[in-house]
Amino acid sequence: MRTYQDELKFLEKMTPNCWKIKKGFVDNMKVDGCFYVNDHLEKLMFDELKHSIGNKGMGGFLPGMKQIANVAALPGIVGSSIGLPDCHAGYGFAIGNMAAFDMSDPTAVVSPGGVGFDINCGVRLLRTNLSLKDVLPLKEQLTQCMFDHIPVGVGSKGIIPMNAKNLEEALEMGMDWSLREGYAWAEDKEHCEEYGRMLQADPSKVSSRAKKRGLPQLGTLGAGNHYAEIQVVEDIYDQYAAKKMGIEFKDQVCIMIHSGSRGMGHQVATDALVAMEKAMKRDHIKVNDRQLACAQISSTEGQDYLKGMASAANYAWVNRTSMTFLTRQAIAKMFQTTPDDLDMHVIYDVSHNIAKVEEHFIDGKQKTLLIHRKGSTRAFPPHHPLIPVDYQLTGQPVLIGGTMGTCSYVLTGTEQGMEQTFGTTCHGAGRALSRAKSRRNLDYNNVLTALEDKGISIRVASPKLVMEEAPESYKNVTDVVDTCHAAGISKKCIKLRPIGVIKG
Amino acid sequence: MFRRKLLALEYPRPEEFNIEDGMEFRNLVVWLEDQKIRHFKIEERAGLRGINESTWENHLKQYLTELNCPFVYEESMKSSVIDWLLGYAVRLDYGDNVDKFKSITPAVMQQSNGSKALISDNPMDRLDFHDPDFKAGVTSLSMLLKIPPHSDHLVMLKAIGLLIQDRMSSLQNKSSGSTKDEYIPIAQTQLGFETKDYIINEAAKIIRLLHIKELRDLQNNINSAIVNVQAITADPRTDQKLGKVGRG
Repeated sequence: MRTYQDELKFLEKMTPNCWKIKKGFVDNMKVDGCFYVNDHLEKLMFDELKHSIGNKGMGGFLPGMKQIANVAALPGIVGSSIGLPDCHAGYGFAIGNMAAFDMSDPTAVVSPGGVGFDINCGVRLLRTNLSLKDVLPLKEQLTQCMFDHIPVGVGSKGIIPMNAKNLEEALEMGMDWSLREGYAWAEDKEHCEEYGRMLQADPSKVSSRAKKRGLPQLGTLGAGNHYAEIQVVEDIYDQYAAKKMGIEFKDQVCIMIHSGSRGMGHQVATDALVAMEKAMKRDHIKVNDRQLACAQISSTEGQDYLKGMASAANYAWVNRTSMTFLTRQAIAKMFQTTPDDLDMHVIYDVSHNIAKVEEHFIDGKQKTLLIHRKGSTRAFPPHHPLIPVDYQLTGQPVLIGGTMGTCSYVLTGTEQGMEQTFGTTCHGAGRALSRAKSRRNLDYNNVLTALEDKGISIRVASPKLVMEEAPESYKNVTDVVDTCHAAGISKKCIKLRPIGVIKG
Repeated sequence: MFRRKLLALEYPRPEEFNIEDGMEFRNLVVWLEDQKIRHFKIEERAGLRGINESTWENHLKQYLTELNCPFVYEESMKSSVIDWLLGYAVRLDYGDNVDKFKSITPAVMQQSNGSKALISDNPMDRLDFHDPDFKAGVTSLSMLLKIPPHSDHLVMLKAIGLLIQDRMSSLQNKSSGSTKDEYIPIAQTQLGFETKDYIINEAAKIIRLLHIKELRDLQNNINSAIVNVQAITADPRTDQKLGKVGRG
């Protein structure tokens, strides 16, 4: 057993915001690891490592640094295993970890743990032409109206009628299904990562159990850290980029929707993990952590997972699109006008739990890679061919959802991020206390009162679980965003603060 | 399928002829005999003219035998019979007017089409693009619109055309939206790569911007295609009764 001092020998500070995890920190590392922090987040990361050594590896999760290093030991990984500033312990991969695997390497793997259980969990931001003073008198009613339109919580059911055939089509077509049925505007598709549809989706690779779970839940927000917020613009750091997104003035009202693929994605991930455990034995794949179950990309299990995952991703886009439709209806009804007249366009829609095939340059050579992003967001630079034409000059908008009741950010992608992190940045605040610990240490009444004191209306399905999502349970989102900005892997553009929250 | 032959014979409304319509079929046979073939004397045509009679088909069969038609009339042979009759009529028509048709060659046809355009009364078609007056006009227009000069006045004219199309028409058509000019600060625009030559860098940025403009137009076309399809397929529905708030 190594001491804390022994462990530190494998860690080296490369820049004020970036640490390197050298090979040898865990067994079999194929490449180095690295992680991005500022002084405050750095302390959290090192404390976590120190505690785990104190526990002698017994009980609790592996520390984030160890998880990053274990990912660096997976077959076929290239570049380095990268931890973003909001990195915290997750299943197999840390949440806030990205890793790239070389598609031309036959041993390279895909791992469901590198995507997460909530496949294509993501954030969508809608703008309006309303100002804070327009909505302030109606704040409570508006929050209630959204709560009435978008069902929340575990076991909630959506209000868009769906049958099994609709679901099959939605899994295959993603947002194109929503467009065809009239739940979306043509411009919504344009402003969505991957244009809201992964073409390799194959609904026949999704188990009937997963479909059964997904069918009634479409158009629902879910529980956990998912939410819909009415927000106002608090600060604009990049006028030109903000203008391109249709953000023109402070106090402009926006709506943020943070949700994923509900029970459907969870089941797809669970099914794949079972199948892959067998494939690992057959193909003699060795990993450091049992949770890092994986399969060779070209194997049947690997391909089936990628097709099922793409279907779940499509489901998540249809889900966010359906909630966009409901939000537009709710708000237009409140103001007795149309969503068109309120200019309720989608600014962007990002995925922060997904695996995608992308082209990147490594040492000046173009490579086709399978990029795993778990709790991390794609952040492509200006002029990248896969970002919408409106953002060609600014770089891709990156939506960072804050914790309930704190603030959220819009960042833009940078060239430096493309080179250093495969065009990837943070996704949110990142948990600091476990859910159980939050429940023990915090009182839900205090959490709700604190929100009220800040002038935030809240509608929640289960107030007694609200402390799991309290700001105290999370890292400070501003620390996280500032670190990404300082490291140059993305650029701050807009800061938003909530005035109304609905959640599960 | 008989359009060209019907057209050549000057049959009324050749586009609309429908062989499946029994009456139209019978009418055409009578018309061909009356106007073009004239095999029978007028009083002998009564049988064919009785198109409402049940015996009409027998008259047709007899008529075809007399013409030495290689086909025997049956329902399934209708189009072969009509095609042969039309071809026979065209042959007769040509025989009657050999001299008139002889002088027509493709070259003559083309010339007569071309000469039509030449005598068009649109003054725009008679412009001499290399007339000094014309060049002077282009130059003063370009000065008026503040377009940088170019040695070829035709290139200048193209630029003027583009500018008017892009700017002036959008002023007229307010509904197109973005009428307010948006200036892009080219100095702050990132090129994304480096050529080590200031002039080439700036030129590359301009090409980038032009490319983005083309992409925007393409995306607009895509969006309007989607909207057109939505007009047919879209039927969004909600049912509040299905909704259920969960436990959290």
